[in-house]
Amino acid sequence: MPNNIEQKIRDEARRLLTEKVVDVVVGYEEGTLPLLAAPCFITAPEEVDRLIFDASCKQNLAGYVHALIIEHRKSQARVKPEDKTEKTVAVIARGCTSRSIVIHLQERQYERENVVIIGVPCQGYIDKNKLSDKASGKEILAGKLDGDQVVIETAAGESRFPLEEVLAGSCLTCAWPNPVISDFMAGEEVAPRTTEDEFALVERFAAQDENQRWAYFEAEMNKCMRCYACRNVCPSCYCPTCFADQSQPEWVGAGINPSDNQVFQIMRMFHMAGRCVDCGSCVEVCAEGVDLRTFLKKLDYDDLKLYDHRAGVDLEKPSPLASFREDDPEEFILEP
Amino acid sequence: MSAEVAEKQKTTATDWEPKIVALVCNWCTYAGADLAGISRLQYPPNVRLIRLPCSGRINPFYIVKALQHGADGVLVSGCHPGECHYISGNLSARRKFAFLENFLNYIGIEKDRTIFTWISASEGDKFARVIEEVTARVKALGPAEKLVKKLS
Repeated sequence: MPNNIEQKIRDEARRLLTEKVVDVVVGYEEGTLPLLAAPCFITAPEEVDRLIFDASCKQNLAGYVHALIIEHRKSQARVKPEDKTEKTVAVIARGCTSRSIVIHLQERQYERENVVIIGVPCQGYIDKNKLSDKASGKEILAGKLDGDQVVIETAAGESRFPLEEVLAGSCLTCAWPNPVISDFMAGEEVAPRTTEDEFALVERFAAQDENQRWAYFEAEMNKCMRCYACRNVCPSCYCPTCFADQSQPEWVGAGINPSDNQVFQIMRMFHMAGRCVDCGSCVEVCAEGVDLRTFLKKLDYDDLKLYDHRAGVDLEKPSPLASFREDDPEEFILEP
Repeated sequence: MSAEVAEKQKTTATDWEPKIVALVCNWCTYAGADLAGISRLQYPPNVRLIRLPCSGRINPFYIVKALQHGADGVLVSGCHPGECHYISGNLSARRKFAFLENFLNYIGIEKDRTIFTWISASEGDKFARVIEEVTARVKALGPAEKLVKKLS
């Protein structure tokens, strides 16, 4: 039984596809595992009933929008100029997805006309690690959402707990649950969460001793097996050739040296300066459960404290590394 | 740890000289170093200069890679704000360095491992003073351990 938002998404998607406004609708569909929706690409009006939207829809879809448009452009490289076509993509966008789209637009990746944003108010999604803790690490055989409760079934039996307890970290402090730009809004806007200060995490970590911080960083990065899932899922990671794949120069060694893991993660995160929307997709896809958010949030923190900027919130405000001011703070400059 | 080993470590610590990589701008700091040289100013020989066209050319990766490959300290120096040969290279570089410096400190790398400064072509004496200061700071920290790639 589709909920109210789902019904609106489906109606709008059907209209867009029937009227041929868009070529494809990127959304979420029921996945093969319980409480884990999968991204889907709808190209025919009769398929729109596959679309769903609830707390099991996790991943930021903006990366697919970028990939679809850019790949289409590449495929047109040898087409005569008068026969060239543009791809128009509709996307189901919550707050973070829409902010990623704003970043793409700011970085001139595609035009606003290439994308139709079906906005959805978002109450957060389920964190797979927290859910797994609730199931005591046992395999979840079935699961469903029941209002603000989650019901899961494992070999040990059925258990029920509030959704709030398994929401992802970035959702618990989300200040932009509603899309910042949208063409159509499916449902009423919801209030942002203000239960915890979003930077409390950074301040707690920074308050620790230097060697403790390093020990934590080292331990977390030692878990990393460099599968690059975090990079692949990230909508802001769209370079045609990633530094991690370059061999001349070889920025990151190919071996299993812990130092290469650290350097890879430092540089990937550094590339997120002023561009991370804290959607939590990298944390969600990480197979080893590396705590990336503690570190990524620091860049967000500096972005706000030093340059009074928030990633992807305002289309008119350029990202901090794409702009400068004469009187930028420079306390770190040595003056002997 | 036995007293003998501790004593041995102490002597190696005093013999130890830091390796410092300096990424410098061609138009100011590099000329400043030249001036320090022709003025016969003395400064510690621990620093290895790498000349770049502008501080804006410095990929933050250079700094991280220098630390990874065993530099005990990295000095980055460019033109004073407003004096860039390319108008604004140092201004955009300043933002990159601010993010990087804060981030490296946040993950627990010592603050004095990465040092940023502005030295113009006429400041040969400042160049000598900066190198002295940087060498003293890095010496005080001791050999770099964090982020260093150890080949076993």
